[in-house]
Amino acid sequence: MTSTLRGFLRKELKQELRDPRMRILLFLAPIVQLTLFGVALSNDVKNIRLWARPDANDTVLQHVYERAVASKWFLPSAEGRNADPFELLRAGKIDAALVPPPGGLTRALGRGTADLQLLVNATNVIQAQSVDGYLRNITTRVVRDDLKIEPPESPIRFDTRVLYNPTLETSYFMVPGVMAMLMIITSLILTSMSITREKELGTFEMLISAPVSVSEVILGKTLPYVALGMAAVPLILAVAVFGFGVPVRGSLLVLTIAALAFVCTAVAIGTLISTFAQNQQQSMLGGFLFLFPAILLSGLMFPIENMPDVLKWMSDLNPVTHFLALLRNILLKGGELDFVLQRIGVLVLMAVVSVFVSFKRFHTTLQ
Amino acid sequence: MSFRWSRAAAVARKEVYHVLRDPFTLMLSLGLPVFMVLVFGFAIEFNVKNIHLAVFDADQTRSSRQVIDTFGSSGYFIVDPVASPDGAFRALGGDHDRAALVIPGDFQKNLYAGRSAQAQLLLDGSDNSTVGPILGYVGSIQTVAARRIADFDPPEPVSVKTRFLFNSELNSRWFVIPGLAVVVMAILAVLLTALAVAREWENGSMELLLSTPVEPLEIIVGKLAPYAVLGLAALAFVYLMSRTLFAVPFRGSLQVYGAGCLLFLAAYLAQGLLISVLTRNQLVAMQVAVMSGLIPANLLSGFIFPIESMPAFFQYLTMILPARWLTVIARESYLKGSTFAEMWEPFAALAILTAIMVMAATRKFKKDLEP
Repeated sequence: MTSTLRGFLRKELKQELRDPRMRILLFLAPIVQLTLFGVALSNDVKNIRLWARPDANDTVLQHVYERAVASKWFLPSAEGRNADPFELLRAGKIDAALVPPPGGLTRALGRGTADLQLLVNATNVIQAQSVDGYLRNITTRVVRDDLKIEPPESPIRFDTRVLYNPTLETSYFMVPGVMAMLMIITSLILTSMSITREKELGTFEMLISAPVSVSEVILGKTLPYVALGMAAVPLILAVAVFGFGVPVRGSLLVLTIAALAFVCTAVAIGTLISTFAQNQQQSMLGGFLFLFPAILLSGLMFPIENMPDVLKWMSDLNPVTHFLALLRNILLKGGELDFVLQRIGVLVLMAVVSVFVSFKRFHTTLQ
Repeated sequence: MSFRWSRAAAVARKEVYHVLRDPFTLMLSLGLPVFMVLVFGFAIEFNVKNIHLAVFDADQTRSSRQVIDTFGSSGYFIVDPVASPDGAFRALGGDHDRAALVIPGDFQKNLYAGRSAQAQLLLDGSDNSTVGPILGYVGSIQTVAARRIADFDPPEPVSVKTRFLFNSELNSRWFVIPGLAVVVMAILAVLLTALAVAREWENGSMELLLSTPVEPLEIIVGKLAPYAVLGLAALAFVYLMSRTLFAVPFRGSLQVYGAGCLLFLAAYLAQGLLISVLTRNQLVAMQVAVMSGLIPANLLSGFIFPIESMPAFFQYLTMILPARWLTVIARESYLKGSTFAEMWEPFAALAILTAIMVMAATRKFKKDLEP
């Protein structure tokens, strides 16, 4: 490392960390956010307010309702039994309602088969589907118990096993996603804004007249941000492992290499964006224009399988997709070598291309 | 000195010139909402389809092929045959196949002998967003397979008839797009305002403004007006797109929804202003704006992740977020057609939060500017 580069590193880190608020934002904030999102966010169905109006002698419906409330998915509703369920749903006082056939479910079952109506507020699609599934299951089981019907054994059975995360812990799924998201937001935006700040202040022009080469300027401006991005990795990982019990089944070394490749790609893209931007506001907006689709189309929250073909191709060009796949693979599956090498290769390729284009653009704009 | 609209208008005019002179920024700030609406509208689909299923069939009989065919024709799965049971297991280690089906060699023999014929289904648990739906499909595929292959169709005494109210087709877009207005406004209002005003502090031109006869309140109104207009334009755009391109119904009152949006916009503009006064530095302002405005609006507002599913502490915490209340108002206005009277709670909460935010921002701003 040349002394110029060392000087750059020192200046940049000092400048970035001089402001105590910046220090807090850089290190504390990711941890706080990771904790928040690891704890708070899930698509599990909970606390659905369920309403039913069983007659005093409609024991089957009563049992269905009791069993539903006893599971942790539903809350009993205090609304009166003479209310109109449609009105209650519209007013947002309940989320789901069970409406028995006239005369009650028990009596209808005594005559043979019965229809039980379920009304669900479907403004939240995911929730509505789960509520439907859960209540169907509960009803079938309760009716069999009450009527003492042995469920006939199906001649064909699928023995289903969920690998890597058998209890479907939400945090195993969310935490790698939030990790990738936090890492790219910080590295990419900070890099591009700090380079454009030099442009805005005119200090970039000064650097050109100094006896420093373009590659030294670029490396000097970007390496500190690679270092800053990597510094957050052990912190985030510690919270993931000790706070949420996310397993690390692969090797830490491979994980570090993958993280380094990802941070380098993020910094390289940040640099590329800064070559287009004239001021910090532009570079920030440009950064978000890249980050939003990158995060949304990465499979972090929404499965890529469901996207139209064009968006699937776009997600192949997205570094977040590859890093997220790497994180999940290394943390949960133990890191399959072929897969890991291939994805790290893709990230490195993206970084190299971005750096190459940035160099080209710097040369044309600077000289 | 008292508040004069002419002076506020002069500040606003300058800010407009500032925005217009920089077409790149303008394009980006208008492009961002367009982009988000398109991505959210087309990319988000919760009904999982096209799941790659690695299949190893050791039996190679009519029954085993029928099982595989039941998976393939369900519309949810794409069948990828593999050569060994180990290959099926390994397929899950990569990223292509999300599920693997292994049919043992005695499948048809067991079935014909009247024993229960079992096949093993392995699911990739590293991605909850696909496992959940797949688990839901397995039960119904088992029922269909049993009926088709073994003619097994036991009667169910109760059939549950579900009516999905307000979104009977369970259209994912109807769920996502109404909440999008909140996210788009959060970006434009908080981020742009925080940065624009922080730039003024950074350049020292705020101190310059102080020495002119312009009142602090006039500066605030003037500086924020152009961004309010931008926010409103984005809002109108989201509304038009939702109604035309995505055909989401709007069943409520446009005036009521508009009033909610205005309150929300005021709260977020004030928040942007407050951030800029507190930080006075664009880099820091950006970080704070992202953390206090953008991320909560996306993740803690109920836009995607339901608030009822959060731990109790977070259910209370999200009450201080204007985004939570506007998400409720937007969804109820679009899908339920609720009236103002039915939505008084979110409106009251939003109004209180807006008032607090505006007061805090103006006071802090004035205190910093007045000698």
